[in-house]
Amino acid sequence: MRVFTGLFLRVRNEAELGAVLGHEFGHFESRHTLNFFKARRSSSDLLAWSALLTSMSGSYSVHRSFQDLELAVYGSLFRHSRDQERQADLLGLSYLNGSELRPQAAEAVWRTIIAETEASAKARGLRKPNFKAIAFTASHPPEAERANYLSQLADPAGASRDDGSTRYSEALSPWLPILLEDQVKLNDFGASDFLIENLAEAGWSADLWFARGELYRTRGAQRDYINAITFYESAIKANPSHALAFRGLGLSMIKTGRRTDGQAALSEYLKLKPDASDANMLKLLLPGEQAK
Amino acid sequence: MGRIGLLVALLIAIFTQAAEAHKLRAKGTPVIVADSKMTVTPTRDWNRLSTSPGKKAETWTIDGEQLNDLTFFAGIEAGQPLLKERSKKKDPLPKFTVGALLVDVPELLEGTYRTYKKIAAYRTTSTEPVKFLDRDGVKFTYEYTDEDQLTRKGEARAAIVDGRLYMITFDAPRLYYYNATVEEARAVMSSAAL
Repeated sequence: MRVFTGLFLRVRNEAELGAVLGHEFGHFESRHTLNFFKARRSSSDLLAWSALLTSMSGSYSVHRSFQDLELAVYGSLFRHSRDQERQADLLGLSYLNGSELRPQAAEAVWRTIIAETEASAKARGLRKPNFKAIAFTASHPPEAERANYLSQLADPAGASRDDGSTRYSEALSPWLPILLEDQVKLNDFGASDFLIENLAEAGWSADLWFARGELYRTRGAQRDYINAITFYESAIKANPSHALAFRGLGLSMIKTGRRTDGQAALSEYLKLKPDASDANMLKLLLPGEQAK
Repeated sequence: MGRIGLLVALLIAIFTQAAEAHKLRAKGTPVIVADSKMTVTPTRDWNRLSTSPGKKAETWTIDGEQLNDLTFFAGIEAGQPLLKERSKKKDPLPKFTVGALLVDVPELLEGTYRTYKKIAAYRTTSTEPVKFLDRDGVKFTYEYTDEDQLTRKGEARAAIVDGRLYMITFDAPRLYYYNATVEEARAVMSSAAL
């Protein structure tokens, strides 16, 4: 049971975070790791003995039956994993139902994940993913199924509870720039754009505008630079001393033919951050240096 | 009996063809790298790995690529990634863009490493102008922690020639190996010529 920092970009409030952590704790409370180990052990014991008996029988039909048995046992093992995930989901939901947080958040987590996956696939020109299909080897139930039962079993009386979104965004805000940087640099344009807009539903901030600017600038098509310029300008409007926004603005302007404006923005960046690690490279783009 | 002999001969042919050895890059001998116009002259013996990380890339090592990794990128064109993508559609890498500036190159390597190695701990520690391939280039250093939980330091030099990127990167674990080999790597980078 591991939780990665990327989770913090995908949940929007304490209730949603609670749904995920409650799920993981549900695994722990029901001892799923131990039970799954026992299931694997029993399954492999059964197959080992069956393989021995099959090889002793010397008959093709027995061998074919053994192959059927293999499929059945493996299928049942994967099914066991999916059932454990369902149990953990429901146990986590029961913690939410009995808490002071809004239990409808559990479904919201899955709706966000479905939307992010779709946005990522769309930007890459891939086929729309199927959220209902269960692969033979799937360890988790499909996303749509989870969203459905979590919404049906959430306590309706809890719908008016607080979801802790203000506390959550306050706690997240010092970490948001780093987490956004890590996300944008993963080169998943659709997912990153979706997540930034998702977070911005609670209000655009300088950090979010800056991240969006970086996302478009690093994709680097001509119209991306033009969009990036607007995003960086919005970041600067929200925080006039956001040094890196000036850097991104300057580079985007230079690449769209607005050389003088770009140089002014880069100069502003170097004024705000004279010890920038790429200061000497950026100075080469400024007038005066080029004349040398 | 004849059929078995044929099968054995076929298997021998398959396995000896597939086993391509790493090649020696001897001290003092100028060599072409990455099937390109770029040549370098090593100041000590290096091994050139038989598998390359990309179509226009080549890797040299002394103790094994996890301990010292000198990679050459030669002639990367606009719209191309640095390394061979695992899946062009599902797992694309950042591309060298049209009109890219030298100051963008450290970001390109960072994005490539973060996406390809699926890591989040990467930091560019310095970026300076330098002469590379007898032209204006960029020299930058970085530090990252790979999936094997080992923190590596890196140094790279790059230049853009006729809209194509030429770059040499050197990565090694920050404990002992980086300092032990970085001077040899720098000598190779300084000797690079088109």
